[in-house]
Amino acid sequence: MKTSLNFEQIDRFKEDLDKCTKCGFCMSYCPVYQEEHVESSVARGKIMLIRALLDGTLEATDEMAEQLNRCTLCMTCAENCPAGTQVPAVITAARADKVRLKGLSFPYNIVYRWLLPRRRLFGGVVRLASWFQGIFLPKTEGTIRHLSLFLSALGKGRHIPQIAPKFLRQSVPEINKPPAGVEVKYTVGYFTGCMTDFVFPELGKKIINFLTRNSVEVVVPRGQGCCGAPVFLGAGDFATGRRMADTNVKAFKELDYIITDCATCASAMKDYVKFLADNDDRKREYTEFAGKIKDITEFLVDVLQLPPSAYRVAGEFKGKTVTWHEPCHLGRYLGVKEQPRKILKSIPDIHFVEMPDADRCCGMAGTFSIYFYDLSKKIADKKAASIDSTGADIVVTDCPGCQIQLIDSTTRHGMPQKVMHIMELFE
Amino acid sequence: MFNAKHVDQLRRIVGKDNVLATQEELLAYSYDATNMWQHLPDVVVLPTNANQISDILKLANESRIPVTPRGGGTNVSGGSIPIKGGIVLCTTRMNRIIEINRTNLNATVEPGVILQDLQEALAKEGLFFPPDPQSAQGCTMGGVVAENSGGPSCLKYGVAKQYVLGLEVVLADGRIVKLGGLTPKNRTGYELAMLFTGSEGTLGVISKITLRLLPSQKSSQTIVAVISDVAVAGETVTEIIASGVLPSKVEFVDNWTFEKFRGLLPDEILDKSQVILLIQVDGLPETVEAEAQQVVDICQSRAGEVKVAQNQAEADRYWQARTAHFSDISSRTHTIVNEDVSVPRDKIADFIKLGQESAKKYDVPISFAGHVGDGNFHPVVLTDSRNKEHYNRSLKCVEEIIEIALSLGGVLSGEHGIGLEKQRFLKKAMDPAAIEIMKAIKDVLDPNHILNPGKIWEETSD
Ligand SMILES: Cc1cc2nc3c(=O)[nH]c(=O)nc-3n(C[C@H](O)[C@H](O)[C@H](O)COP(=O)(O)OP(=O)(O)OC[C@H]3O[C@@H](n4cnc5c(N)ncnc54)[C@H](O)[C@@H]3O)c2cc1C
Ligand code: SF4
Ligand code: SF4
Repeated sequence: MKTSLNFEQIDRFKEDLDKCTKCGFCMSYCPVYQEEHVESSVARGKIMLIRALLDGTLEATDEMAEQLNRCTLCMTCAENCPAGTQVPAVITAARADKVRLKGLSFPYNIVYRWLLPRRRLFGGVVRLASWFQGIFLPKTEGTIRHLSLFLSALGKGRHIPQIAPKFLRQSVPEINKPPAGVEVKYTVGYFTGCMTDFVFPELGKKIINFLTRNSVEVVVPRGQGCCGAPVFLGAGDFATGRRMADTNVKAFKELDYIITDCATCASAMKDYVKFLADNDDRKREYTEFAGKIKDITEFLVDVLQLPPSAYRVAGEFKGKTVTWHEPCHLGRYLGVKEQPRKILKSIPDIHFVEMPDADRCCGMAGTFSIYFYDLSKKIADKKAASIDSTGADIVVTDCPGCQIQLIDSTTRHGMPQKVMHIMELFE
Repeated sequence: MFNAKHVDQLRRIVGKDNVLATQEELLAYSYDATNMWQHLPDVVVLPTNANQISDILKLANESRIPVTPRGGGTNVSGGSIPIKGGIVLCTTRMNRIIEINRTNLNATVEPGVILQDLQEALAKEGLFFPPDPQSAQGCTMGGVVAENSGGPSCLKYGVAKQYVLGLEVVLADGRIVKLGGLTPKNRTGYELAMLFTGSEGTLGVISKITLRLLPSQKSSQTIVAVISDVAVAGETVTEIIASGVLPSKVEFVDNWTFEKFRGLLPDEILDKSQVILLIQVDGLPETVEAEAQQVVDICQSRAGEVKVAQNQAEADRYWQARTAHFSDISSRTHTIVNEDVSVPRDKIADFIKLGQESAKKYDVPISFAGHVGDGNFHPVVLTDSRNKEHYNRSLKCVEEIIEIALSLGGVLSGEHGIGLEKQRFLKKAMDPAAIEIMKAIKDVLDPNHILNPGKIWEETSD
């Protein structure tokens, strides 16, 4: 018999583990189950596996890790569970215990433990990857190319956007003031996230312009790093995650608002306190930090309360039909459901259509999509069908991770829809 | 008996991806929604058509390997637990809706279709399948038929068996047989489709189902009444039905689970009440309005608070609070003993009164909830199986409550089936000759007793 001493992280979420009544309702919500139709995919199965791990019936084998990793942490089960079981938290904790007991496997250890926490170096490697990508790999449709070295080191090929020639951090100053004549009403910190920094720097510039034009001074702290989601949520490496969290807390210390354009980064950073706070100081700091984080749409609608006229649609998108993909991390984790829709509905220059199951997981889920690309693609196929059914010209979202997944799946299906971040709609 | 060679043979039948055999995968098929039982299978197979089921059963029959059919594993009687090991035959990859026919008012489905998915597909066609087990999000149509399930609306619409027109069943020796048909009227021979309806996976594996459907109801109203006393609640229900209104649902929850209704109903009334009745009437808008008023009038004279849901969203909130009952009560304690008796409607108040006295006698907490409209009750005793003494008292109390129900002319199980959980009461609840007939039927259809062995009746030494 094992003692549960070995499972100190799971123990912290024991209550959630006990809550599950095995009713099986999660079967109709879990996107992974709906592709595989096997019990170990669904929340109930995972709960039972973890219970077996705790009582010593099963061991922390690779097969166990494989089963627990078959989860996008989309939260759909938790949102609908009549017992209120927070399955994603339990699974994250189980991943962490597995890492503590068994260590990370290559190449995750190199990338996660060593590279991601070192932002400058990481940038360099990504750059190198982009160079290789240009030389060795064929161009596909438009701006889309196959594989970066970075992703190919981790997994299989997919249609992903090119790594940007110049990163956001290299293109904008640390302090961005409103144009002359516009008074400063708020000063905010902008957390740019790896994707915006390395892949979508134009989006970052648009957001900074949009905010400054609307009386917001935007600080892009140079000391910020990766949010840590792939490290502590994806791979279960809490120790490294903690270092990354501390870096970000320090970088934004002096600022009252932290604006993000990536729902995953925002919710991961809000979750520092839940998973990474190992002492009272950290608990206090992480709680304070979490309170300052606002998704960009949330900030625009709830804090700035901008009128529809402030959302000036860029000329090329005027008159287009636009649909909205709600990222799991935005709707279910941050509870930001209405704000983006409010913006989209209020703009007279576009036609907004709600897609069926707009809040259904797209299957990206970072590390998950690398481990289980085929499964991830199947989940994305359902999303592609939803998008297709709207007849929209453009699908917008609020998470560069989802964006990459949607680009991959619309490209694979030869669909005409343009995939964009919601903020890219504007001038 | 099972050996490793069989795994390869099964892989040849259904393909490698449809056989699960790691310890982790097996554990995930060792339980259902029941509290007290768990047992590992030796292997799990996920067939994708009837021919594969037939080949699996032939192999199992020749080698005498137990086969436990399983759908969503949401039953609460231990029915899909592979108590003798062997093969779990899971239908979740047979989940196609083959046809929905608006003219014939019927649908043909594979057994692994989840009830909620079917309901959503039917709603798009303006149709519905009335039986509404409260596990619609997880239970499969095969499970619904094999358990002869029904939910709140069986008061007006009946249970699964009233909607089964035809079945395709694979027998233990691998024969694939078609029973019943596509038409609501069918007087050809014995009602064999009914034999498999409610058979709990012990007579054959259901591989295709044709269901009778109804057109969607145009309109419905939900009425909530908060009542101070259990006996008064019982009388209220009796009076509503005697008044000539037939609501589609009349549900009852006691104050153990009022929490879910806080914020929806006034606290000061909830604080001094024992029961919430949830009533739904449905039909044409004109009739619905008149019937709702009639229900409100009857409730008004007895209830502390009567509310009519102003819109669908409000109604949905009440019904969600009702659906959450099972989880809510389960989360209150380590172990629950959840019974499923059904009593004639005019005995409801007596039953609850006697049940409460019994709980007092054994000094155990008890909660009552259920489909009071049809007399089907779920008395739940809250206990902790780690505390032997308390747990034993709880089992005794439950036993007494079952006897009370039977003595009032009721039955042992209204909807959950016998499975493992209730077999110790079967002899009390069923004519011995009837049990003998069941066993004889079993011997004809499954002479080697490979299908779901160990279920329904207690095994003697055979
Ligand atoms: C929260 C909750 C609420 C519930 N509410 C209700 C309710 O209101 N009314 C009600 O009636 N029940 C209710 N149930 C019980 C249960 O959900 C139903 O009995 C359901 O129909 C079982 O379906 P399943 O697919 O999960 O079957 P399983 O649990 O997988 O199996 C049930 C039985 O059917 C057999 N079986 C399954 N598929 C087949 C097949 N294709 N061929 C032959 N045999 C098969 C199995 O061997 C087993 O004996 C509830 C359960 C829960 C957890
Ligand atoms: S996780 Fe929630 S929905 Fe799923 S089986 Fe457990 S209690 Fe039911
Ligand atoms: S978090 Fe999402 S993928 Fe994971 S078990 Fe829950 S519903 Fe399934």
